[in-house]
Amino acid sequence: MKYNKSKPIFSSYQKNSNLFDEIFDENENVRPTYKKILELYSDHSIQDFASLNEKAKASFFNQGITFQVYSDKKAQEKIFPFDLFPRIIEAKEWDTIEKGVIQRSKALNLFLWDVYHDKNIIKEGIVPIDLINTSANYLHQMEGFDPPGGIYNHISGTDLIKHSDGKYYVLEDNIRCPSGVSYVICNRNALKRALFGVFNHYEIHTVTDYAENLLEMLESVKPKGVDSPNCVVITPGVYNSAYYEHCYLAKSSGIELVEGRDLFVENDFVYMKTINGPEKVDVIYRRIDDLFIDPLEFRKDSVLGVPGLFAAYKRGNVTLVNAPGTGVADDKAIYTYMPQIIKYYLNEEPILNNVHTYHCSKPEDLKYILENVDKLVIKPVDEAGGYGISIGNRLTKEEIEKVKKAIKENPRKYIAQPIMSLSVHATYIDETSSFEQRHVDLRTYTLLGQDKEFVLKGGLTRVALQKGNLIVNSSQGGGSKDTWVLKK
Amino acid sequence: MLARVANDLFWMGRYIERAEHTARYLNVNYFSSLDAPNKLSQSRTFVLNSMYALVDNRVENTSELKENEVLYDIALNPEKTYSIIKCIKSARENANSSRDLISTEFYESINKFYHFVISYPKETFVKNGLFDFTTTVTEHTAILRAKIRGTILHDEVYALIMLGMNIERATQITRIIKTKFDDAERATGGYTNPFKNSYEWTTLLKCAESYDMMRRFYRKTPTQLITLEFLLLNPNCPRSVTNSLNQSYKHISQLDSLKLHNINSSSFLIGKMRSEYEFKTIEEVQKNVREFIEDTLNKLIKISIKLEEEYFNY
Amino acid sequence: MSLHYRIKYKSKNTYENPVSEAYWQFLVTPENNETQEVLYSNFRTTVDARIENSINGYNFETTRIHCKKPFDKICFEAEFRLHKKDINPFGFSPIFNNLLDYNLTENHSFKVEFDNFLKHTELTKLPENIKTIHKFNKEFTVFENLNNLNNWVYNYLQFKIGVTKVNTLLKEIVVSKQGVCQDFSHLFCAISRENNIPARYVSGYLHQGNGYFGDSQMHAWVEAFLPNIGWIGFDPTNNILVNHNHIKVCHGKDYNDCPPIKGIIYASGKNETTHSVEVSQQQ
Repeated sequence: MKYNKSKPIFSSYQKNSNLFDEIFDENENVRPTYKKILELYSDHSIQDFASLNEKAKASFFNQGITFQVYSDKKAQEKIFPFDLFPRIIEAKEWDTIEKGVIQRSKALNLFLWDVYHDKNIIKEGIVPIDLINTSANYLHQMEGFDPPGGIYNHISGTDLIKHSDGKYYVLEDNIRCPSGVSYVICNRNALKRALFGVFNHYEIHTVTDYAENLLEMLESVKPKGVDSPNCVVITPGVYNSAYYEHCYLAKSSGIELVEGRDLFVENDFVYMKTINGPEKVDVIYRRIDDLFIDPLEFRKDSVLGVPGLFAAYKRGNVTLVNAPGTGVADDKAIYTYMPQIIKYYLNEEPILNNVHTYHCSKPEDLKYILENVDKLVIKPVDEAGGYGISIGNRLTKEEIEKVKKAIKENPRKYIAQPIMSLSVHATYIDETSSFEQRHVDLRTYTLLGQDKEFVLKGGLTRVALQKGNLIVNSSQGGGSKDTWVLKK
Repeated sequence: MLARVANDLFWMGRYIERAEHTARYLNVNYFSSLDAPNKLSQSRTFVLNSMYALVDNRVENTSELKENEVLYDIALNPEKTYSIIKCIKSARENANSSRDLISTEFYESINKFYHFVISYPKETFVKNGLFDFTTTVTEHTAILRAKIRGTILHDEVYALIMLGMNIERATQITRIIKTKFDDAERATGGYTNPFKNSYEWTTLLKCAESYDMMRRFYRKTPTQLITLEFLLLNPNCPRSVTNSLNQSYKHISQLDSLKLHNINSSSFLIGKMRSEYEFKTIEEVQKNVREFIEDTLNKLIKISIKLEEEYFNY
Repeated sequence: MSLHYRIKYKSKNTYENPVSEAYWQFLVTPENNETQEVLYSNFRTTVDARIENSINGYNFETTRIHCKKPFDKICFEAEFRLHKKDINPFGFSPIFNNLLDYNLTENHSFKVEFDNFLKHTELTKLPENIKTIHKFNKEFTVFENLNNLNNWVYNYLQFKIGVTKVNTLLKEIVVSKQGVCQDFSHLFCAISRENNIPARYVSGYLHQGNGYFGDSQMHAWVEAFLPNIGWIGFDPTNNILVNHNHIKVCHGKDYNDCPPIKGIIYASGKNETTHSVEVSQQQ
């Protein structure tokens, strides 16, 4: 009955039964979590929605919550598209996610400590040495160094998807400079402004407590001998695509936003140049990649960094968040060992699923892979950025033979994973002025400090706005949704 | 506060103020010249060159001045450093780099302003948009002023923006007066004895949005003497140089009260200039207007350089 | 007996256009270790600049200089005095058990432990066709093999200044068969690593009183890891074991971990650098 009532808005909603729809179950009934909101939304017509959508877009634009797109030498400002239909996650479901991402972050932290100290996990043959020493993100300079509080990956962004079996799988752990958290808060604000009426029907966890937890975490990893640490955020500058986020983080935590040229090092301490002279800096949340933080130690041509910063760090006079060298633990090859890594350090079973990985170097896996190329994604282990990936069901017969040949020639070079099907969510599409199914994923944000752990109860639901597209990245035309975590 | 950010805030204040004066100057001069009582004041090229003069771009051969070009250059030409569009772009860039210190509300206003200016169609502007464009620019600057006053903490951030605004205001008012006198010199061949007509003084006062107040204060038609007195020396006229100096002094004291008596500080320079203005009479100014105006501009430049050395050097 | 040395390191940099700001990091201070102790160190420049002692990413002592005033010429001068133990290069305990030693180097934990100094870097990579140019003979001890390698490299390359640069790759060096101490050391490291013996590049000074090769600049040699014994220095440029004439500054995977000077210069145009080193022995 209720489904009929919601017809004006969902009248042209087409359901592909092969996909897991977060709102409608396989019998086309509205899932219990979404019943109320659909009922409320049914008061709106599609025109109402179109106009709210326009207003929300204008609000993002006016607030300058934008990123730059460069084409034909001209910079254009674009908003990160935002969808007015929220994604809702039940308390119980969230509980698993939260425990799972904390478990992963902790395990990765212990893994990093081990890799930069005794390397036991490698000596015991659980993770192959090649994965470490061939990684461009492994920093020899970090060997034997104890980061303050013993923390490497203070901030982790974990990318999860819901597969057609209705279970969450982790796709990637981002522990260098995961971005996007500011959009979580912006999305919530925008949705509150547009559809305030629906909020009092759901008990939703707030997302505005991220900043205070971030600051608490930063303070918890202060250098030895500092009472009340001076924390800053360092940004590459106003032209960086994530500059809005850097501002947001500094502003909401009440700390200074600096650029490399605002800082200098003297006697291995870091200072910022203020109108009243130098002021010591103790903790730096850096949004600059490892190789750019200090031109005297890493890339000489970096103008973003601070000469001498790394020496100050190694002397223990300043803390860098995240620690340099964390990148070694977030590449594809390490990902495939996550279940073993969790087991090794925590003696626990992984709470969240990894996407199963077949190693072409193992004979039994190889046999399966060669027989099932059309059902698998084949990835080279050492390429980054999506290069060289073959998606089995999109290949022609000849292409499949080519892939098989390449694997047989160099089995060590490839891994294979089942083709994951991202769940779909009702998303308002401008072009057709209607709701349509679009693939979504979820990025969660975890903070690890000394005696501190925190997961933002929300996260960024990213939407692939192009029909059928599985890539949710913002540079590839992705949007996002407000993500509600229910209190009960 | 970071020295670099302080510099950006100061300049943001200056750019906002500059955009406003440029816009008003265009507006007032253009429209008042249309029905001006004497021939010269009505002359297109004379008015256009006066506009160029304000932005330091006076040309010698006025016969080549084209109205479309002059108006476009000063308002919307992104290639010209003096254009209004460039000022607003720079102000917004400065706001971007200090975004973590200013209020969301203020940022939103300056961002809207920026989008208004950059998306204003050139064709509309040169065809019939001059009034609309310049009026909207001055309205936007008024909104910005209100947001600065009403939503930003009145601490050093506020002090720096206001310092920039007031120093720029003193500079712009002086420049507007200078431009008018230069115009007069060209028209009559003498600097000390310019326009006899009250019409020009009315225009000048309107460029500084001070005409009504001046009428209320003196209760007579404007002459050179009272116009200069009002715009330069009247402490209660919100646009006067004296007022701007008083404001600047207040804000620099807020920034660093300990340095007031250090003769090598910018607060000392501002304080000194302010005191000189406070006890200056219009008769003294009248003895040599050009010298007084040049001296004022030089002192303002020195203050700016000192501020840079003292606070913005990073 | 202990020996006293005085070392003078000089560097002169001239710039085509004035430099507005610059940073330098010098990695020229001798390390303190079992065989050497720095008694005095002093660093001077010709411009008004801040001089600080610090460390690099591998914890070796550095001197950092920051100059904020414009200049077009700058000279640096470092002076060190140290004493050095007169060591017997063969003074380590001479018990070798070939089988055990070679087994140990095959051990997985050993490989992980010494991975940094077993893995090839860009500068210590042997071209595919000559990977086996010099194979160790397991009939001999590890030490004997390394000693032979020292001798082999010494004979294989001809010492010649000006043919190679600090970033010349081995594939070019094995063709020209000429080079300086860096090249000798890189080739030694490459072959030693190829034979599973950890080897590290060492940067330092050589007291040249005895007619050794080197130049009036900094010297380079190699330390290789002997199972059950430790790191032992080999100087393939002179075909000797490292002795009391070698004053160590630092070590790394290759030259890139040990450049004596690194600079970040805010200026345009060309620049020229000259170095000189003087090591003298004192009574």
